[in-house]
Amino acid sequence: MDDRVIIRFNHVTKQYDDDLPVLDDVSFDIERGKFYTLLGPSGCGKTTILRLIAGFIEPTKGDIYFHGQRINHVPSNKRRVNTVFQDYALFPHLNVFENVAFGLRIKKIPKADIERKVKEALRFVNLEGYEQRAIHEMSGGQRQRVAIARAIVNEPDVLLLDEPLSALDLKLRTEMQYELRELQRRLGITFIFVTHDQEEALAMSDEIFVLNKGKIEQRGTPKDIYDEPVNRFVADFIGESNIIVGTMIDDFVVEFANQQFTCVDYGFSKNEQVDIVIRPEDLELTTAELGKLRVRVDSVLFRGVHYELCCYDAYGNEWLVHSTKKAEIGEEIGLHFEPEAIHVMKRSGGE
Amino acid sequence: MKVARLYLAFVFFVLYMPIFYLIYYSFNSGGTMHHFESFTLDWYKDVFDDTRLLVIVLHTVIVALLSSSLATIIGVLGAIAIYYAKHRWKQTLLTLNNILIVSPDVIIGASFLILFTIAGIQLGFTSVLLSHIAFSIPIVVLMVLPKLQEMSPTLIDAARDLGANEWNVLTKVVLPYVTPGIFAGFFMALTYSLDDFAVTFFVTGNGFSTLSVEIYSRARQGISLSVNALSTLLFLFTLLLVVVYYIITQRTSAKGGQK
Amino acid sequence: MRRYAYAVPYWLWIALFVIAPIILIVYYSFFDIEGRFSLVNYETFFTPVYLRMTVNSFWYAFLITACSLLIAYPTAYLLTKTKHKQLWLLLIILPTWVNLLLKAYAFLGLFGTYGAVNALLEAIGIGTKQLLFTDFSFVFVSVYIFIPFMILPIFNALEKLNHSLIDAARDLGASEWTTFRRVIFPLTLDGVKAGCQAVFIPSLSLFMLTRLIAGNRVITLGTAVEQHFLVTQNWGMGATIAVFLMIAMAGIMAITGNKKWGVRQ
Repeated sequence: MDDRVIIRFNHVTKQYDDDLPVLDDVSFDIERGKFYTLLGPSGCGKTTILRLIAGFIEPTKGDIYFHGQRINHVPSNKRRVNTVFQDYALFPHLNVFENVAFGLRIKKIPKADIERKVKEALRFVNLEGYEQRAIHEMSGGQRQRVAIARAIVNEPDVLLLDEPLSALDLKLRTEMQYELRELQRRLGITFIFVTHDQEEALAMSDEIFVLNKGKIEQRGTPKDIYDEPVNRFVADFIGESNIIVGTMIDDFVVEFANQQFTCVDYGFSKNEQVDIVIRPEDLELTTAELGKLRVRVDSVLFRGVHYELCCYDAYGNEWLVHSTKKAEIGEEIGLHFEPEAIHVMKRSGGE
Repeated sequence: MKVARLYLAFVFFVLYMPIFYLIYYSFNSGGTMHHFESFTLDWYKDVFDDTRLLVIVLHTVIVALLSSSLATIIGVLGAIAIYYAKHRWKQTLLTLNNILIVSPDVIIGASFLILFTIAGIQLGFTSVLLSHIAFSIPIVVLMVLPKLQEMSPTLIDAARDLGANEWNVLTKVVLPYVTPGIFAGFFMALTYSLDDFAVTFFVTGNGFSTLSVEIYSRARQGISLSVNALSTLLFLFTLLLVVVYYIITQRTSAKGGQK
Repeated sequence: MRRYAYAVPYWLWIALFVIAPIILIVYYSFFDIEGRFSLVNYETFFTPVYLRMTVNSFWYAFLITACSLLIAYPTAYLLTKTKHKQLWLLLIILPTWVNLLLKAYAFLGLFGTYGAVNALLEAIGIGTKQLLFTDFSFVFVSVYIFIPFMILPIFNALEKLNHSLIDAARDLGASEWTTFRRVIFPLTLDGVKAGCQAVFIPSLSLFMLTRLIAGNRVITLGTAVEQHFLVTQNWGMGATIAVFLMIAMAGIMAITGNKKWGVRQ
């Protein structure tokens, strides 16, 4: 086994009673020192993967390896992983210091070492001087940091983060995204981060796993996933997109909205039905005559940095456009885009 | 709003009148509860001279402290067992738990009387103590269980995640978390025990008596102002208990970090 | 099941002090005073004497519950409007910590022929009345004793009520009375039910009050159980009455619903 691999899932299935499996025959490797994100809608199985790694639950089928050792039945208190919980799960009866020291005390580490390590961990998350505070005196962002300090003080090989930013407001969340990424670089350990927020995933990760209905739909770098979604689900989930049905006429030629366009995709069968994705920010506003597509503006929303235009073409397809230019409702405009902006995907089954 | 105030004032007046009426006449040298002759502390002296009564007070306190301590231990364990029980068992267990709370006292008393007679347990201290433990356990469970249920299950996950075994989880997380509930349960059990009359009346033998039973037999013989003096002392003791309880819960909740 | 080993004392308690007593009561109800197996107790129960006693018990319990509710609801409602409501609530609870018998005993003095109440009646020109050993005094003292148990759950239910619901009702044009009738009362019904449970069931079985205050004029099922167990030593008959009390209790629990058991405080 490749010694960079720290966790391996081998055909892992998790099923409760006779319900549909929450995780369905999933295999993947996790390498050391990287920042992973499990991304997907609620109920997709992302938290299940986390709980399987942490040891709170055991797989129904398949094997989980940690450093090459099968750990299916190793209880969570014997695993070298630590978790940052969604609700932080800080012990309300203990102060900040004792919360962070909890794991070390259980390992019966000498008092002086505990003192030193806890201080160090708190310094790491910028909470020096807060040792004696009670948990309820801490703000949401500070609790978040305590939870992280409590986990990293045990020097785990893998840190699991279960939607840790979801309870924070937007500004704090963005700040923490930077901090977490920075923290991971400094510690050099593996982070596995669970979220349903695609922006968060794109901003922080080395590698993203997009999950849906207990299966991994796509894995790859944020850029891969954003630029080359493998199917409609990923494209839709990873960002607001225009997804329409088209036909692959030949290599590098695709037809949609009753027109043929040059594209950069190839290798499909002739006249294969495909899904076409064009990102709203890849569409440029121009006059009706100059545009590749002619559409009518249906609504305009001001979004701060850009306008969001909702337009319809003559065939009833909806086109979402992000543009710094403004257009009037009812106006006929043209849309321009580059061949690289067209992403052609195999049609996903059943859609 | 004036009517509202009057109404509340009236309710509180009626609620406290009998208690202060008792206290007032405990200082009456006249010996009745309707004509106040002059101030005296004789009745208090009577109470403290009455060794039989003092022994009964001692018995009552011993039974109360012992039964509520034991009931607290068993009840906390029971609450934890119910908390961990599978869903379909949980409801059954809760129903069984609550039977003694909703049962009329006479039924508890009568059925325990049968139980002790069949088991050959001499009626007296043991039977009273066992009964008090028995009817206090479900109260402790009901005070502790909501605290357990309000505890986020991720706290237990978190403790395991940080290396805690089952015993650590119990002693370092669960028990400290539910401490306010345990205190509340203990105090409730204590007051139920001190207050109980009906159950004790059934299962106490001739040689053993608690304060409630003693007051009942004295009250049946008519008015005696030493009972008034005794009730004044008890009322003050109750107040003291309330204050102590209040301080303890305030302190634990401040430490426990509830908002 | 090994994980539940620590709870063995609790399991024992359930077996010995919850299940066994019920079985024993039912078992004893089938034995007559001579210790022979028979259904005579059940025959006796269905004679007019006991049936009237049952009806009486229920009637008194109903009266006590109804009076408690009538007084308790406005009290609880007004309490939620006061400043320092937790303190006032504590003052409502405090008397429950005074021994029940002492409170009953106080009424011996208050309601006595020369007691404070009669002195008051005399002063306002009504004249002295026989108060002790009447139905009135029995109901009054019972209500007095039980009322905190009625106020408490109603108060809690009112406190839990989301205040914007009341604002919403007013906003939608409901008068104060309509708001109460259509919004507040239905939403606090759980508290009312819990309170009724807490009053009705024990008042079916009061025996010390009937002895002390009602002077044996009122005989409830509870009094009869006590009589059979401790005076006439006819345990079988006592057990039979207890069986019917338990059936009544189960019926009341079913009617008032027991969903809130686990969370009641």
